[in-house]
Amino acid sequence: MAEQKSDTELLALFREPATKEKAFTEIVKKYQERLYWHIRRMLVDHEDSNDVMQNVFIRVWNALSGFREDAQLYTWLYRIATNECLTFIEQQKKKASVSLNELESGLSNKIKADKDFDANKLEWKLQLAIQQLPEKQRVVFMLRYYDEMPYDEMSKVLDTSAGALKASYHHAAKKIEDFILNH
Amino acid sequence: MSERVLLTQMETSKEILTELQEIAPNLGITGISRAPYALPVGFFEEFPENLMNRIRMEAASYSEFNAGQQNAEVSPLLEIEEISPLLAGLKNKNTYQVPVGYFESLKTKIPALESKPFAPKTKQAPVFTLKFIKYAVAACLIALLGTAVFNLTYHKTTDPIKDLATVSDQDMANYLDSDDIHWTPGITASSASIDFSDNDVHDLLSTVSDDELEQYSASLPEEKRNVN
Repeated sequence: MAEQKSDTELLALFREPATKEKAFTEIVKKYQERLYWHIRRMLVDHEDSNDVMQNVFIRVWNALSGFREDAQLYTWLYRIATNECLTFIEQQKKKASVSLNELESGLSNKIKADKDFDANKLEWKLQLAIQQLPEKQRVVFMLRYYDEMPYDEMSKVLDTSAGALKASYHHAAKKIEDFILNH
Repeated sequence: MSERVLLTQMETSKEILTELQEIAPNLGITGISRAPYALPVGFFEEFPENLMNRIRMEAASYSEFNAGQQNAEVSPLLEIEEISPLLAGLKNKNTYQVPVGYFESLKTKIPALESKPFAPKTKQAPVFTLKFIKYAVAACLIALLGTAVFNLTYHKTTDPIKDLATVSDQDMANYLDSDDIHWTPGITASSASIDFSDNDVHDLLSTVSDDELEQYSASLPEEKRNVN
């Protein structure tokens, strides 16, 4: 297996018209799984996640030439993906004219409708518990718990101080634990 | 992935797990779980190519749109020539005619256009409009007609007694004299019958014979024969 190129190398190749597409395909391959799961955990449904991920990478394609390398590429990608997810959720709310609570219960119903859903399994209870969290806490918990993102990087993704993110993660983890113990 | 990056990631994972076990021991007891969601087989293998196809397609439609935008800047004449040469040929043929010299004489027909510089007209509210005058005249006519009709209807018969008050005694005496009517000043219509005594009646009928009176009485209706 060939050695994966660094972000700096890929960005340099992207700036060359001859290697632009190839470099971009490499970037997609490098980050697609991490971004997909981040999006999927937010939106639950695969088709929605696929649509949003395509939109994320199209945005990246259009804006990558202006990307400044003083930030990490993956932080920037997560920022775009998170914003796209929140925009998608917002659009869904407007389309269906439902409140956030109704939308969250809708996401819980989607989880329960999954063919592999098993209410006795901890990982499924965990997914249901995550959907009970407020939007911001949900993102913080997922970025820390699943993506293992350091607080200073998360701070760049969410434009929030590391201290506030720590507090948010703490509250989220406690709520999830309580939900799992009581359900 | 380099060994250093892998080591850093492992350290971060360990830190996050320790942090979680401190916050929520029951949650961190089994370690960090993975999302249980399934996804279509080969999704990640196909995704980059599917994405690039969409990007190429959108870029192509964007180029077409841009080309369309450039075409939109073509002059109207060239545009209509391309769409319909027939219409392009008819473009400057005007079917309407104007009187000879109309446009030349236009300025002299409207002197204000030449002498005064253009100034925006301020609209003034007219005090009397033609419409207002028409209504006013109609209202006056109706009022006059109404008054005339009212007077003719309700003031046609005047009270003769009231009118007599305005006539002097001398005029009244002259009038009565001229008609050979005996009248004594001071006797009014209301007092005349009161002062008319039996003697006066006797004097008045002194020249009438008894036969004539009997004939007159016989001609009266039954109920009036015994009065007085």
